Amino acid sequence: MNILIRLAKIIDTGSKHHNTVKDVFIQNGVIAKIGSNLKPTGKYTEVKLKGLQLSLGWVDMNSYFADPGFEHKETIESGCKAAAAGGFTHVCAMPNTMPIMHNKSMVEYMLSKAKDNIVNLLPVGAVTQKCEGKELAELYDMFHAGAVAFSDGGNPSLNAGLLERALDYIKAFDGILLVHPEDKSIAKHGVMHEGIFSTKLGLPAMPAFAETLAVARDLFVLDYTQSRLHFLDISLKKSLELIKNAKKKNGKLTVSVNAYNLLFTDEAVGSYNTQFKLNPPLRLSEDIAAMVKAIQEGTVDTITSQHQPHEEDCKKLEFDKADFGMIGLETSFAVANTALNNKVDTETLVKLFSTNARKILKLEENSINEGNRADLTLFSTDTKWTFTEKDIFSQSKNTPFIGKQFVGKPLGIVNNNQVFLSSELQ
Amino acid sequence: MSALSQKHLLGIKYIQKSDIELILQTASRFKEVLQRPIKKVPSLRDITIANLFFEDSTRTRISFELAEKRLSADTINFSASNSSVKKGETLLDTVRNILAMKVDMVVMRHSSSGAPVFLSQHIPASIVNAGDGTNEHPTQALLDAYSMTEKFGTLKGLRVLIVGDITHSRVAGSNIPLLQKMGAEVTVCGPPTLIPKHLPELGVRVETNLKKALQWCDVANVLRIQLERMDIKFVPTLREYSLFYGINRELLDSLNKQITIMHPGPINRGVELNSDVADSGQSLILQQVENGVAVRMAVMYLLAGRE
Repeated sequence: MNILIRLAKIIDTGSKHHNTVKDVFIQNGVIAKIGSNLKPTGKYTEVKLKGLQLSLGWVDMNSYFADPGFEHKETIESGCKAAAAGGFTHVCAMPNTMPIMHNKSMVEYMLSKAKDNIVNLLPVGAVTQKCEGKELAELYDMFHAGAVAFSDGGNPSLNAGLLERALDYIKAFDGILLVHPEDKSIAKHGVMHEGIFSTKLGLPAMPAFAETLAVARDLFVLDYTQSRLHFLDISLKKSLELIKNAKKKNGKLTVSVNAYNLLFTDEAVGSYNTQFKLNPPLRLSEDIAAMVKAIQEGTVDTITSQHQPHEEDCKKLEFDKADFGMIGLETSFAVANTALNNKVDTETLVKLFSTNARKILKLEENSINEGNRADLTLFSTDTKWTFTEKDIFSQSKNTPFIGKQFVGKPLGIVNNNQVFLSSELQ
Repeated sequence: MSALSQKHLLGIKYIQKSDIELILQTASRFKEVLQRPIKKVPSLRDITIANLFFEDSTRTRISFELAEKRLSADTINFSASNSSVKKGETLLDTVRNILAMKVDMVVMRHSSSGAPVFLSQHIPASIVNAGDGTNEHPTQALLDAYSMTEKFGTLKGLRVLIVGDITHSRVAGSNIPLLQKMGAEVTVCGPPTLIPKHLPELGVRVETNLKKALQWCDVANVLRIQLERMDIKFVPTLREYSLFYGINRELLDSLNKQITIMHPGPINRGVELNSDVADSGQSLILQQVENGVAVRMAVMYLLAGRE
């Protein structure tokens, strides 16, 4: 596969060509030449678009693929297509499959199904057997099989003692835990953020401090173990205040927020719209402002999709019976860029979508320089577009964004000697 | 104004003050009908109404059924305990199947908050919410309003206290917006574990001392403590609840005024209300039940487009 990318602005601080507009020629999966007015010989595809930007491939740290067990929601193939359409060359797959990804053979299954895919699937092994929060899973063995991190996904079942053991145990191989902070004894059966709108709707609600309390607890355990922990799904001003302070003492602590939490408040639930039944739930405008500020200050390391595919039947239900979550791989960049428009520069966006996650997950070091493996994302932060059903590559269509106008679009990826291009570049 | 602004009665939140006034006026016409030797009118003889009770109910179901019969509507009854719901059918499928048999109106009780709103987005028939989860029970609030108006002449400026489990109460969920729309003042009283944290933001006063609260009010609407709704115990014991939030004769007599007592039923006697209160001249409880039929007749009559 040979491809010539014309006049793309390279956003990669590790590149000699950072912040310059260049032609990039990729030959057999390798960056063969970066320059101006390149005229390669032989057969190649040429792509060109006004305002085209180029970065190292993006990484999503928080996706749920439903394969095996729930292949009617998503398969590894369809999930990887959704990732490619969203600009991601790497995507973390959470362990909440059926059976749960809690041993070496499950990790190997994931990797073998994604072999030869344009997207690198990064298995996240379960911390505890069956994600039940009772006994540790074989973390070391899964690490050797290729698990990049460990998490019980959205299952906040780890008690403090088990969290301490898991954090200690993974130090043997410098592993990392991805944690969804939520104290279930507080959140109970809540289905949205507790506030004036949940009160008006008469819905059981999650008090915000269910998240903050879990963050505080986990920070104490982290302080004691001095291990590596990454908070997923942070959505509150108060959580970010705690994390900002903790980061001053612990350089290994990292954190992500979900794109959807940047764009909507709890008011969006409206008349029981189950597409907005999410966990973490939609919060308040002061929380959005705090997330934006934390992004600007560098407290937030990555923005994630929390891609959770569900068939229509799981959403076309009474609100309390509907499943949590939305698909997010195709939209997370556009959602974040729309929410952050003119508030952060493109270099920061690339850190949030690519380079920070690469460091956290210890992916191979790479940069946009001649001779390096081509692992790239093409995008534009200015493209105005409307998200429609034909932009969905996931097998499920549970998104509130159909018909929504965005600023900024992922336009394609190059990875594993393959290329995926959006309609604008075809 | 002689027609409702809405096609459904999904909740008090969704209707206007003029709708409430129209329902109450229409109800008083039906109350008069109910005093006649022949308590029946032919108004809805061309209408079929399905009473879908996905959650157990005795008095609300009977009250609706009687109201439908007094209006000459054809009725069918469905209860979840002996239905396809147990076989895993979804709400939407169940209702669509019933509507396929040409039903014009649905009266529904359901354990999920917002279930009637969800249904209204997918089916053509008019929907009357007969109680949804911990959200609303609009006909109860309307019959409470009717009963209070009958006694006091107006709701404007009336001081109404709601006592008990406010968090899990759909009666409170409908009474609060109705009373506010009609210009009454609302205070709630109960254990703080059973009062929604954000209620004051909706303009509702919270008082945790029952005696002070009773001293303030003209009417106390006392809620049933719904133990069956609680997977967690929000009060240590029923004994303690009745000691601090139960209303007895001694407490009422210690006030320097005569207040009116209401209760949506069924009463846990000796828990939230003692018999010497429930059965006293200060109680409006049986009038509430009587008025319930007239109010429900009015709602269905108006939703059917009869003026």
